[in-house]
Amino acid sequence: MQGIRRLSVALAVAGVLGAAAPVAANAATTITISGATASYPLVSLLAQKYVKLHPHKIKFKIAQGGAQVGINDVAAGRVTIGDVSRDPLETDPPHLVFYPIAKYGICVITNKSNPLANLTSAQLISIFTGKTRSWSGIPGASASGTVDLITRTSVAGVLTNFQTLLLENKKVSSVASEQSSEGLMRQTVESDPNAIGFVSNYQSDKGGVHAVSVNGVACNKSTVTSGTYPGVAKFYEVTKKEATGAAAAFIGWIRNSSAARKIISTQWVPVT
Amino acid sequence: MSTLVPFEFDDARAMHTGRGRRSSPTSWRWRDRIALVLAWSAGITLCLIAGAIVAYFAFRGVQYLRPSLLFSRPQASTSQAGSGGFLDPLLGTMLLTAVGIVLALPLAVTSAVWISEYGRPKWLSRAIESCIEIVAGTPDIVIALFGLAVFQLSFMGPFSFKASGGGVYGRSFLAAGAMMSLIALPPIFAATRDGLQAVPAHLREAAFALGKTRVTTIRRVLLPSVRSNMATGVTLGISRIIGDTAIVVLLLGESLRLESQGSVPGVGLLRGTGSTLTSFVFDNSPAGEGAAPQKAYAAAVVLLLFVLCLNLLVERIGRHQERATGLSVATGAV
Amino acid sequence: MPPVLARLRKPWPDTRAERTLGAVSCLVGVLVVGMVAFVAVHAWPTFEHNGLSWLGSGPSPESAFEKMQSTGVDAPASAYHLRAWPLLYGTLLTTVVAVAFASVVSLFASIFIVELAPERLRRLTIPVIRLLASVPSVVYGLIGVLVLVPFVGNHLVTAAEKESVASSIELTGAGLLVTVVILTVMIAPIMIALTCEALAAVPSSWREGAIALGLNPLRAILAVTVRAARPAIVAAAVLATGRALGEAIMISMVSGGRAFTPNLDHGLLIFLYSPLRTFASTIVDFREGLSAPALGSSLYAIALLLLLGGFVLSVCGYLIKLPLRRYQVRG
Repeated sequence: MQGIRRLSVALAVAGVLGAAAPVAANAATTITISGATASYPLVSLLAQKYVKLHPHKIKFKIAQGGAQVGINDVAAGRVTIGDVSRDPLETDPPHLVFYPIAKYGICVITNKSNPLANLTSAQLISIFTGKTRSWSGIPGASASGTVDLITRTSVAGVLTNFQTLLLENKKVSSVASEQSSEGLMRQTVESDPNAIGFVSNYQSDKGGVHAVSVNGVACNKSTVTSGTYPGVAKFYEVTKKEATGAAAAFIGWIRNSSAARKIISTQWVPVT
Repeated sequence: MSTLVPFEFDDARAMHTGRGRRSSPTSWRWRDRIALVLAWSAGITLCLIAGAIVAYFAFRGVQYLRPSLLFSRPQASTSQAGSGGFLDPLLGTMLLTAVGIVLALPLAVTSAVWISEYGRPKWLSRAIESCIEIVAGTPDIVIALFGLAVFQLSFMGPFSFKASGGGVYGRSFLAAGAMMSLIALPPIFAATRDGLQAVPAHLREAAFALGKTRVTTIRRVLLPSVRSNMATGVTLGISRIIGDTAIVVLLLGESLRLESQGSVPGVGLLRGTGSTLTSFVFDNSPAGEGAAPQKAYAAAVVLLLFVLCLNLLVERIGRHQERATGLSVATGAV
Repeated sequence: MPPVLARLRKPWPDTRAERTLGAVSCLVGVLVVGMVAFVAVHAWPTFEHNGLSWLGSGPSPESAFEKMQSTGVDAPASAYHLRAWPLLYGTLLTTVVAVAFASVVSLFASIFIVELAPERLRRLTIPVIRLLASVPSVVYGLIGVLVLVPFVGNHLVTAAEKESVASSIELTGAGLLVTVVILTVMIAPIMIALTCEALAAVPSSWREGAIALGLNPLRAILAVTVRAARPAIVAAAVLATGRALGEAIMISMVSGGRAFTPNLDHGLLIFLYSPLRTFASTIVDFREGLSAPALGSSLYAIALLLLLGGFVLSVCGYLIKLPLRRYQVRG
């Protein structure tokens, strides 16, 4: 009885060690990323491809939260890379390095039942700062009633860029209802006939909402590529001081390899 | 938090089993007639609401729930068709429940045994009972925030993951499981303590008369006799863990799949992140990313089925215990 | 076998067992005290900077949170500025209104279940109450956000109402009305179960005596049974308040996510449709910003208030339950 018990214990230990050994041999590095919801689809696709190219060597943990959350997490050392969808500001913590990886366009969207053809800058400003509150004051609108302004929460990089590029640095009115992610923004505009909001061109190209031209220029991938659309911004990968090790390899791969370029070119514009 | 509530009372109370003529409501005053109408409508409305919820989710379940969803892994995709099933959240729910109960059960049973069998000094035993009541009354969001504060301390790195910048990630099955054990602790404690206090004195006295020490009595006589109570408490604890969303959303890292951390297989899974059915429903609803309400419905139906089965289990255990020993199972409302 | 192991394998003497079990039990106590201490320590910075006016009114909490997040990890003292009155108001409003509704509904439903319902219907209500009590809050939130909010937003809110408040808020259907309705459905089962137990524990001879004196049956119930079970009913209300206070996920999904103080300036309907934010839903909404120390400290302060609220309610419940010993009502 004792002999059988000792034998089974020995076998169990050998089994556990045997299973653990090959796994321990390839300990994968983990890269943690957090930040903008606008660049999340792009970074997820890039990470997926990167893992396929380097199996068992690298793992990613990608969280969202907003561009400002990414910056704060990187500065606090909580994550290795931050996804940021806006340009660096003076208020950002020191020693952060911004690596641009792609260009995207910020499109103004309305509900499909309200296919507004065009808005001038002046009209955009007047709507989003809350001066014009009714659809009847906007030529070309099929909706009637109050304008339901939808905006992003304050941590969003897309909001910062929208205000800087398309609203001439004016702030969106506090009446607007805040959505915490791009997906929610698109969903809200999709389901509310009186809504107007703004998303990256990736979300508006998915359909379900109508993208409004600004100053006569439509918002889609080709106008973003050619640069004729006024609301073009960059996605950045941000690290605390220069990127090293696995993070540097990943960011280098994104900026230099053709596989990454192909992925970026599907919906966004590579940074040449 | 979800609670299963006690609900036993004497059936012979109904006034219509009384003898003699009852006054008919037409002769009552207006006030009482209105009260009668209100009472009836309150009761019927409640049944209708419950029926509506069940019918609605049955309808949505038939619409959206496919067996393949239970067995395929979720994928990050932009369309509902390509986003896979929810096998990982299902496994995550089971893993989290297991960790929570494994951590809570010894602690709860030990405390219940000590308080009901020893309990000296008296002030200490009252203090500990009050502490457990405080935990029972704490909102789960506060427990989740506390868990985040603890598990993001620098020396807690082995329990989750240490990022290269020095910050501890603080989110893993171990972190969420530890906080879930706090959620499951009060029901198990209350059920076990009530069961121990309901054990008739002659059982203990017989054991002492036979010369057994207190320890042996507890181990061989008392604990086996409160097995049903413990089972009820554990089932109540499981149902609270399964229904809890706040702790999962804050402490489990909300990665779509089970991502293990590090190289050791079992421990890596516990140190890693994942999702559960509740956080899956939350993330896919318009409050999360909102991209997949169909998946949210399907997962919600599975969640409801789990909870219903646990309800039936509690009733079954209660009835079995009553039949077996004649003692009714004390189910705590905590 | 080493002597220590041998000693442990023999049956334990009572003193050692008592001390070990006591130590493990004390661990639970230490954990709870540690929890309160931890939360308080993390909450201290924001209270230090704001003092008692933390609960006052001022610029909107959302703009304060935005400032906290944009100043990031090196937060100057001014970043801690916060006036959380709209959050407190939202919490109190939803909790008080929901508990008030639920108390009335539960009382009448309990009277129905214990006294009025025919046998078969009563047997049906027990699983019904159990079902309603055990539905997870995220499922209630799902029903709210996919069924009730669009219903209120598209069919109940009129365009005129939306226009009348267009300058300050947007009425999307997510707001006070849906929050209170779902919260009532969530907390009513707990109250019903406790109230039913209390009503059933009152000796029936009391009620029969009232009937013998000429009261009609319903009046007898209201005048005698309900009065006698008053402490238990209040205890049930206190328990339900604790639950309503801590509800985070469901409220975050259906309350509109906007720290606004609903008021009656534009009438009752707009008051009901107004969006709001509660303490618990704020923690859920801003959970990702904890890296910014000012925001983290504010969230911990909110958690501390919730903890204290729950503690005060537990104490009240205990004090109220003391007279229940008279009827041997478990509660």
